[in-house]
Amino acid sequence: MGVKVNLHLTLRSHANGQETVEVEGKTVGECLRNLVQMFPGLGPNIFDKKGGLNSIVEVYLNLQSAYPNELVKPVKDGDEIHLTMILSGG
Amino acid sequence: MLNAEELKRYDRQIMIPEIGQAGQEKLKEAKVFVAGAGGIGSPVTIYLVAAGVGTIRLADHDRVDVSNLNRQVLHWDEDVGRKKVGSAGEKLRRMNPHVKIETLDETITEENAGALASGCDGIVDAMDNLPTRYILNKAAVDLSIPFFHGAVRGLEGRATTVVPGKSACLRCLYRGPVPQEKFPVLGATPAVIGCIQATEVIKYIVGIGELLINRLLIYDGLNLKFTEFKVNRNPECEHCSRTAKEE
Repeated sequence: MGVKVNLHLTLRSHANGQETVEVEGKTVGECLRNLVQMFPGLGPNIFDKKGGLNSIVEVYLNLQSAYPNELVKPVKDGDEIHLTMILSGG
Repeated sequence: MLNAEELKRYDRQIMIPEIGQAGQEKLKEAKVFVAGAGGIGSPVTIYLVAAGVGTIRLADHDRVDVSNLNRQVLHWDEDVGRKKVGSAGEKLRRMNPHVKIETLDETITEENAGALASGCDGIVDAMDNLPTRYILNKAAVDLSIPFFHGAVRGLEGRATTVVPGKSACLRCLYRGPVPQEKFPVLGATPAVIGCIQATEVIKYIVGIGELLINRLLIYDGLNLKFTEFKVNRNPECEHCSRTAKEE
């Protein structure tokens, strides 16, 4: 059992339309980098050019905000990550 | 005091045990600042006015464009080209003459946000951009009044309620500037989110129920799902860290 990553609607097209992807990793960052290895098209949508999180992406771990320092947060098998996008419209 | 016509008008919500006549009177005494008379501002003001919130102060600097009409339901075909506050104010006054509608044809800035919301019991976020949302969030924290956040894109929306000193604020989640975009949106999406915000405002004024504080509610209209995430105060938050207190 790995870590389940729930992809935001706008990310799914880069992951063969999948809503969730199971990945391995000991931190949120490792999981997301492994996710990008599986689906390279997700890379620029999740990470910025310096390897940090894209400012529009939010990370929730087990339904709790992982902010700040999201990428170093430890995870274990069975954990669930949600990737969501900040919205600005009204 | 509610008069006979008002008692009849609000009968169905006075029947709600949590509201009653005392709650209805609290609504009548309340004044709410709604920032934006667009997609979210329309349903929020419609339901606050219908519910009998005594005074609505509505600010918007824009004019009605034909491309607004799929979602900004306070504005009609005949209003294209009018100031949004003029168009919205007219409809809202006709909807409920017992409610006072104050309209402000103003651009919300860091300099004037506090003054615009001064004397109000809460600020409703009905904006179309993040920078102004943060300005309003700061004004709410400074005035120590709640901030009812809502935002939409496509068939997705989100809402949270900020009560300064008790909850995370919008800035607690700030991760840096986000590029502005011409956002796609289905009209029903801001209707869902605006109604959630209006419900929160009414609950706050009456003092009932559990507010959406420290919780971010995300609405996925495409799959018709609501997901709730716990959000945390940021002890380093540049807006609220000095006023935030331990619960």
